[in-house]
Amino acid sequence: MVNLRQSTASRLARRVGDRGPVREFLMFSLTGELYGVELTRIKEILSPPPITLVPRAPRDVIGVCSVRGLLVTVLDLRRRLSLEERPLTRRARILLGEAESGEVIGLLVDEVRHVVRLASHEIEPAATALGGDVSAFVLGIGRPAGEFLILLDLLSIVSG
Amino acid sequence: MAELSDKAREEFFSEAQEIIETLSRNLLSLDQSIKAGSTDPSLINEAFRAVHTLKGLAGLFGAVRLGALSHRLEDVLDDLRLGRIELAQEVLDVLFGAVEAYTRILQAEKSDSDEELDVDQLFGELERIGASATPQDSPVAGYELDPGLLAVLTEYEEHRLRANIDLQMRLYRLRVQFDLSTIDKVLEEMKERAKRHGEIITYLPTGEATSADTIELDLLMASRDDLATLVGSLGGDNLVIEEIPRRARRSAAAGAGAGTMPPRSPTALGRPDSVGMVPAGERGGLEQTASLRSLTQTVRVDIRKLDHLMNIVGELAIVRSAFGRVAEKLRGEGQRKLAAELQRLHRNFDRRLGEMQDGILEVRMVPLGQVFDRLARVVRQISREVGKEIRLVITGAETEIDKLIVEELSDPLMHMIRNAIDHGIEAGQRRVEVGKPLAGTIALNAFQKGNHVMIEVEDDGRGIDLQGLMDKAISLGKLTRSEAQEMSRDETLALIFLPGLSTRESADDVSGRGVGMDIVKTNISKLGGVIDVHSEAGIGTKMTITLPITLAIVSALLIQAGKHTLAIPLSSVSEAIAFEEAGVRFVDGREVITLRGQTLPLCRLDRLMGLETAGGSASRRRFVVVAALGQRRLGLVVDFLFGQEDIVIKPLGKSLGAVRGFAGATELGDQRVGLVLDAAGLIEEVLAGVDAPRSLERASG
Repeated sequence: MVNLRQSTASRLARRVGDRGPVREFLMFSLTGELYGVELTRIKEILSPPPITLVPRAPRDVIGVCSVRGLLVTVLDLRRRLSLEERPLTRRARILLGEAESGEVIGLLVDEVRHVVRLASHEIEPAATALGGDVSAFVLGIGRPAGEFLILLDLLSIVSG
Repeated sequence: MAELSDKAREEFFSEAQEIIETLSRNLLSLDQSIKAGSTDPSLINEAFRAVHTLKGLAGLFGAVRLGALSHRLEDVLDDLRLGRIELAQEVLDVLFGAVEAYTRILQAEKSDSDEELDVDQLFGELERIGASATPQDSPVAGYELDPGLLAVLTEYEEHRLRANIDLQMRLYRLRVQFDLSTIDKVLEEMKERAKRHGEIITYLPTGEATSADTIELDLLMASRDDLATLVGSLGGDNLVIEEIPRRARRSAAAGAGAGTMPPRSPTALGRPDSVGMVPAGERGGLEQTASLRSLTQTVRVDIRKLDHLMNIVGELAIVRSAFGRVAEKLRGEGQRKLAAELQRLHRNFDRRLGEMQDGILEVRMVPLGQVFDRLARVVRQISREVGKEIRLVITGAETEIDKLIVEELSDPLMHMIRNAIDHGIEAGQRRVEVGKPLAGTIALNAFQKGNHVMIEVEDDGRGIDLQGLMDKAISLGKLTRSEAQEMSRDETLALIFLPGLSTRESADDVSGRGVGMDIVKTNISKLGGVIDVHSEAGIGTKMTITLPITLAIVSALLIQAGKHTLAIPLSSVSEAIAFEEAGVRFVDGREVITLRGQTLPLCRLDRLMGLETAGGSASRRRFVVVAALGQRRLGLVVDFLFGQEDIVIKPLGKSLGAVRGFAGATELGDQRVGLVLDAAGLIEEVLAGVDAPRSLERASG
C-alpha cells in the first residue's frame, strides 16, 4: 500500500497557504483518461489480491476478495462508467471506499498516479462543463497543471 | 429512565429480561400444577423472589413504571405464598397479564419512549385480588410444637406449617450434625432428598454442636410418610429423626376448626433447646448471600463479541495453514530437523485451535427451552382467548442451538402454533363428537439429528383440508383445475406455503394477521432450514423444521465446478457418488438419475450458474453431490471433490444481496476466497417445478 498521507503531508508543507479552500484528489488512470476522487473518501489502496468471480452478480461486479479477513466486493470502474474494456496490467490497483450502507467496496483502476490539490475555482462544475445531462458519478472537471481530470463522486459510485 | 452508560443499560435490560422469563416459567409451571390438582409452594416463592429482585433492580436504575408494577405484583404474590389468597385460574390470568405488561414496559424503556402504557386495568385487577386476601388461622396448636420455635417462624414458614397440617401431614423433627465447611451443600442435598417425602419447613441451630467445626440443626419437616420410611431414606450417623406427636385433643382441634386454639404446653415434647437460635432476619440474610453467589457464575456477552472471536479463530486457521506450508518448504530444503519441530508445533496449534473453536461455539449455544417457554405462554393465552382447551406437551427443550437461530425462531414457531390452535384443533364439542379427548394436544418436539436440529409442531386436530386448499388455490388463480387433478398429496399440501392461502374463509383474530405460512417458510429458509408438512384428515398435522445447529462455523465439502472452487455445507450433503453420463434420463424435460431405486433430479452447477466450463472431454470423471434437506434431494453435478474442511461463512456484501444461490463466502487460505453454496436455496430453486406444478412457479415468481 502506498503511504498516501505522509507523502501528501510533505508536499503540502512545501505549498503552504496559497489559495482559499483546497481539496485533495487522488489521480488515477482508466482506459487512457485521468480521473480523480476525493482523497478523504479512500480508505486504502491495494495491489489486487486474488479476486473470486461471483456468478449471477451484476455486470459491473468483478467478484469478491478478502482484505485481512474482511470480505470486499470489487467493482470494475470501467464497466460502471461504461468504458471500453482493456486487460489489466501489473500497475492495476484497488481503491477501497465505503458505501452509504457501511459496506466496504473495492474499485479496480488501471494505475494510481498521485495526489493533486485543487482550489474550488479550479474545479469546473460538471453541468457547466458538460451540459445538463451528466452521469451522477461526475463531480466536475479539474485542470491541474494543464491536465484534464474527471472528478468522480466516490460515494455515489460505490453506493449505486 | 436515569442517565446510564450504554453498557449498564444493556446489563439492566438483559437481567430484567431474564428475570421476567423466569417469572413466566414459574407461572407456567404453576398453571400446570393447578391443573394437576396441587400447587408447589416453592414455585410461588420463586415467583415472589423474581418480582422482588426486579423491584430492586428497577429502583436501582430508576425505572419507575417497572418499579410500580413490581411493587403491586409483589404484594399479590406475597399474599399468595402466605395463603391469604387462593391460587385460582383467574388470579393466574392477571399474573400472566403482568408478565405481558412487563415486556411492554421493558420495550418502552429500551426505546426510551415515554409513551403512556395502559396498565390501569391491570393495576385495578391486582388491587382487587389483593383486597380479597383473608387472614387465616389453622390448627397449628394441635401439635406438640415448641412455642419457642413457633415464635421465630417467619410468616411464610408459618403458612407452610399450617398448610401441611391442613393436608394431614405428620410433623417430624430432624436433628442433624453438619460440618461447617460443607453445610451449604449438604443441607441443599438433604432438602432435595427430603422433597420426595414432604417439605422442610424451617431449620434452626440447636447450639449443641459436638465440636467447633460442626453445627447442629433442628429441621422441622412435614411428610406423609411414616417414621420408618424417613429413617430409611434420610437416616445416617449424624441424623436423629423424631415424630412430633399430636396433642391428645387433636380431634377436637381438627374437628372444631380454626376457632378453637388449645393452650400451648410449655413442656412440649420434642422441644429443641432454644439457646443459640438465630433471629429469622439473619437467616434470611444467609439465604440471600447464597443466591448472590450463584448469580455471579454467569457472564452476559453480546453475541457480536463471539462473532468477533470466531473471526479471529478463522484468521488463526489461515496462519495455521501458512505454518504447514513453511514446514513443507523447510523439509524440501533439507532442514528435516527444523521441519519436524515446526510440524509438531503445527499439530499442537491445530489441536488447540480446534478446542478454542469448539469452546466459542459452545458458548453460542442455548437451549431451545428459551423460545419454548415463550410459546407456552402464547398457547395458554390463545387457548383462553378462543375458548379451546389445549394441552401443550414439550419434549427436548434442552436441545441446544445457535443463539442467533433461537432469536429468529420464535416468530415462525409462534405463527405455526397459532395456526394449529385456530385451524387445527377442533372446538371442544366437535372433538367429543368424533371421540377425541376434549383437550386438544399440541406437541412441540425438538431433537438433534446429526448436524441438524429438528423441531416438530404437531397437533391432534382435524388435519389440513386438501380439497379446500386446492379450491382456494384455484380461485386465487394459482392453479388450474386440470393441474390440480394431477397433483400428488404432498404437492397439494405444499400449497399452504403459497402467499395468500389460508383454508379458512374469514381472517380471524388469532391467525388472520396477514402473516402466512409463506412468510414462515421464508424465515426458516433464511436460517438455512427447511419446513415439511404432513397431515392426515381427522388425525392431525405435523410440521417439521430442519435447521443447522450453528451458523457461525460449518464443515463443508469443497468442490470444483467449472473453474470455481465452491463450498457446500456438509450438513446439507447426504453423499457424493461418481457421475455416469449414460445413466441420465429425461423426465418432463428435466435430467434425473436413478440412485438406489429412487429418482434423483440433477442440476449441473456450471450450467445453472453460467460458470465457465472446465473444458476437457465429456468422458472425464465427474461427481454427483447429493444435497438433501428434509424430504428433498438434489444431485449437483460437479467436476471435482477436494474434500472436507471447516469454514467460517461470511455473508456477501449488501451490494450482492440480490444474488441467489450463495450463502456467503469463505477464505480458503492463500488469500483466496471461495463461494459457499446455499443448498436450501438451490434445492428450492431447482425443484420448485417438481414440488408443485409449473404454474405455481410462475404465480409465486
